[in-house]
Amino acid sequence: MLDLLGLTSAEELFSDLPKELRRKKFALSEGRSQQETYKALAELASRNATYKSVFRGAGSYVHYIPAAVTSVTSREEFLTSYTPYQPEISQGILQATFEFQTMMCELTGMDVATASHYSGATAAAEACVMCAGKGRKVVTFSNIDPDTLDTLRTYLGARGIALEVLSADNGNAVLKSGTGGSVLYIQSPNYYGIVEDVSLLVSAAKAEGMKVVVGGNPLALALFRSPGECGADVAVGDAQPFGLPVSFGGPYLGYMAAKREFMRKLPGRIVGETKDAEGDRAFVLTLQTREQHIRREKATSNICSNQAHCALTAAVYLSLMGARGLKDLATKCASNAHYLARELTRVGAKLFYEKEFFHEFVTITPGKASALTAALERKGILGGLPLDEHRILWCCTECVGKADMDEVVSIAEEVL
Amino acid sequence: MKTVFEKSVKGRRCFEVSALDVEKYDFEAGALRSSLRLPELSEPEVVAHYTALSKRTFGVDDGFYPLGSCTMKYNPKLHEVIAALPGFRDAHPLARADKMQGSLAVIDTLSAYLAGITGMDAVTLQPCAGAHGEFTALLMVRAYHRARGDEKRVKVLIPDSAHGTNPASAAMAGFEVVTVKSDADGLVDLADLSLKAGEDTAALMLTNPNTLGKFEKHILKIAEIVHEAGALMYYDGANLNAVMGVVRPGDMGFDLVHLNLHKTFSAPHGGGGPGSGPVCCKAELAAFLPDPQVTRTERGFRFGRSDWSAGRVTAFYGNFGVYVKALAYIVTLGGKGLREAAVTAVLNANYLREKISYFYPVGEGRCMHEFVLSMRKLREETGVTAADVAKGLIDRGIHPPTMYFPLIVEDALMFEPTETASKETLDAAADALKEVIELAYTDPDALHSAPHTTPIRRPDEAGAARDPVVKEEL
Ligand SMILES: Cc1ncc(COP(=O)(O)O)c(C=O)c1O
Repeated sequence: MLDLLGLTSAEELFSDLPKELRRKKFALSEGRSQQETYKALAELASRNATYKSVFRGAGSYVHYIPAAVTSVTSREEFLTSYTPYQPEISQGILQATFEFQTMMCELTGMDVATASHYSGATAAAEACVMCAGKGRKVVTFSNIDPDTLDTLRTYLGARGIALEVLSADNGNAVLKSGTGGSVLYIQSPNYYGIVEDVSLLVSAAKAEGMKVVVGGNPLALALFRSPGECGADVAVGDAQPFGLPVSFGGPYLGYMAAKREFMRKLPGRIVGETKDAEGDRAFVLTLQTREQHIRREKATSNICSNQAHCALTAAVYLSLMGARGLKDLATKCASNAHYLARELTRVGAKLFYEKEFFHEFVTITPGKASALTAALERKGILGGLPLDEHRILWCCTECVGKADMDEVVSIAEEVL
Repeated sequence: MKTVFEKSVKGRRCFEVSALDVEKYDFEAGALRSSLRLPELSEPEVVAHYTALSKRTFGVDDGFYPLGSCTMKYNPKLHEVIAALPGFRDAHPLARADKMQGSLAVIDTLSAYLAGITGMDAVTLQPCAGAHGEFTALLMVRAYHRARGDEKRVKVLIPDSAHGTNPASAAMAGFEVVTVKSDADGLVDLADLSLKAGEDTAALMLTNPNTLGKFEKHILKIAEIVHEAGALMYYDGANLNAVMGVVRPGDMGFDLVHLNLHKTFSAPHGGGGPGSGPVCCKAELAAFLPDPQVTRTERGFRFGRSDWSAGRVTAFYGNFGVYVKALAYIVTLGGKGLREAAVTAVLNANYLREKISYFYPVGEGRCMHEFVLSMRKLREETGVTAADVAKGLIDRGIHPPTMYFPLIVEDALMFEPTETASKETLDAAADALKEVIELAYTDPDALHSAPHTTPIRRPDEAGAARDPVVKEEL
């Protein structure tokens, strides 16, 4: 190869680089065999605690992942391809993404869904930026996910869009009139697990001329009326519960679905159906004139690489679950959570909010929050998330059974 | 091929949720949805469906994938095993930091490696892709100027050869974009830069080597001009694969860098993501990194916060499951291996370019890790376009190069072979391209109608955008 180039060493190819730079010395470590790398990384992994049961959610949910999901999604074609710029050799990933869009539209009651965002937090932020019209103020509540709230602050602040956070002291969001906002962002179930009256909030916001973005765990949508049905403009959230491991916080799956009027304003990739030269069905990336590679600074977003493989995973997961499986799952999570809540109150905890909740709830045990979670920790149980000295945010999924919950309750009984 | 919904058979099931062992909870009927339509199939049917779809997808393991600017190198299988280790996979992001020392050690160790590779002092792994890193870094730029009481720096300078995410990120971060011209060699036009850099400039965003695969050889002069104007130097690390272990952005005069771990550091691209786009910066900018930061304390690693942080950019700590793969890559290769990868990537690009140099190369002399051909002459002589050539390559088992980018080259085809392509692969690609170009002169129609070997023929993209069908009617 060097002969063809008339070189004696490949290093000569760097002769364009300034000498001052090439002369700079810096340390270069030795490599290792793959076996040694495995050993070193496995040792790091083993420094993380593993738990026999998990009662912590707060934006990251432990669910059972059917083996078929992992098996199918780890096929190398899905794993090692990139953005399907060449539709003729990318029909597989394009069609799977189109099917994902259809599933998300169905769950959210919307007309168009994007092919993924970095997380529920960035999906919420980008949706609010998209909807912020002339009024340029987004209104939300203190009961949304704190990372989402921080991300909203960052994204809106960058664009000079105001953000007003209304308090939701009794758990539910209640929109007062005259906020002067142009967008309302709510989350249901909210951070504390409480199911909001989305329809009521949407009508209150619409009466003020606001657009409404509704966030939330999409698993709850297996049971509850969808944001679309409740009249919202945009639905966002994180679909991590659909087949993705908790994996220390990522990669997860931000989704966004909207009413058709937003189709040409949406950030991110969208797959569309069309026909090929012979009239057969084909799938392509579409509405690309919204995107950065064409519109540059006028694009609706800067997003390029997204969470495509996570969207594929969710599509496979939902195909395996089916509507009945998903409903059974959501029901099991909710039933477990209600059982645990009732049992904890029997042994001395109180529910902080007396509201309808999905699969998360907050208890109050004055001064005892960390003592209780520490006691659970000692038994190999990841308890709920302490919110302060008194309150704990609990979550139950289908991965815990009655025996696991009874163990938590008996430990709580000792501590309280 | 039928969709998963079209294959659905009413009442068919596969996955059973284990039975409830507590009392079933019923919500008030008024809050509930009336219907939900998802596929109804058996497990073998679902697996068959997605297996068939995978076979209609071309990955790095399927053949040569010289997609310029995207660094489609081989992704070692070991990394998948590591990311799926129960200790990582099942780690809850909100478990106590003292119980998650393995994950925090991953963040700390990888950050230290990336700082060393880029010649920077501090790192955040929170951004989830390159564009997200750009956005994050620009927010830090703004926070930095503001903290010094400098509110007038509202503009970001970006060369006309830059990737579209650069100007889009600048706009999202609230900056005005000013385009800097390229000179005849495709490098930053120093005169134009001097003219445009001023007291309203916040930063210059630069890719080096640039998107033409050329090293900005006046980089030290560029840094001097920008710094003299009081602005910061931002490095789009999408092309770091050309120079890692050889030279460092920190030594070139850059103040902030984003990296694409899904390119340079071999995390797989997943059909479009997830990626990971860490930002590395000089010490003066460290206080503005997104919260939280991992810090070392006497009791081990902990999360820390800064009063000056430019803010959080996503939930938790970014794409952990992706960047742990990049750590595995760096541990295996070591600094020496990374350097060897860069040198080989540059050698491979020059070798392929030399073999096909008579096909209208852009610019003189050597290239770095990628190069651009212009199909303008071919189009004028034969009517065959860059897209036609790309489709002809598909029929020869090659994933096409990046088309029509950078925008400053007409009819561009951008090749990035990467270091993991063998000489045999490069030779075969050169032969395939030669065959396609010859065909353009003898039978152009065969290329206008290509590809011929794929599951579909060329789709009607204009029609798709005119009258969008973006979901299935159920
Ligand atoms: C030069 C350059 N900059 C930035 C990006 C954006 O990176 P990402 O797709 O990870 O957001 C790319 C990706 O294609 C690129 O090639």
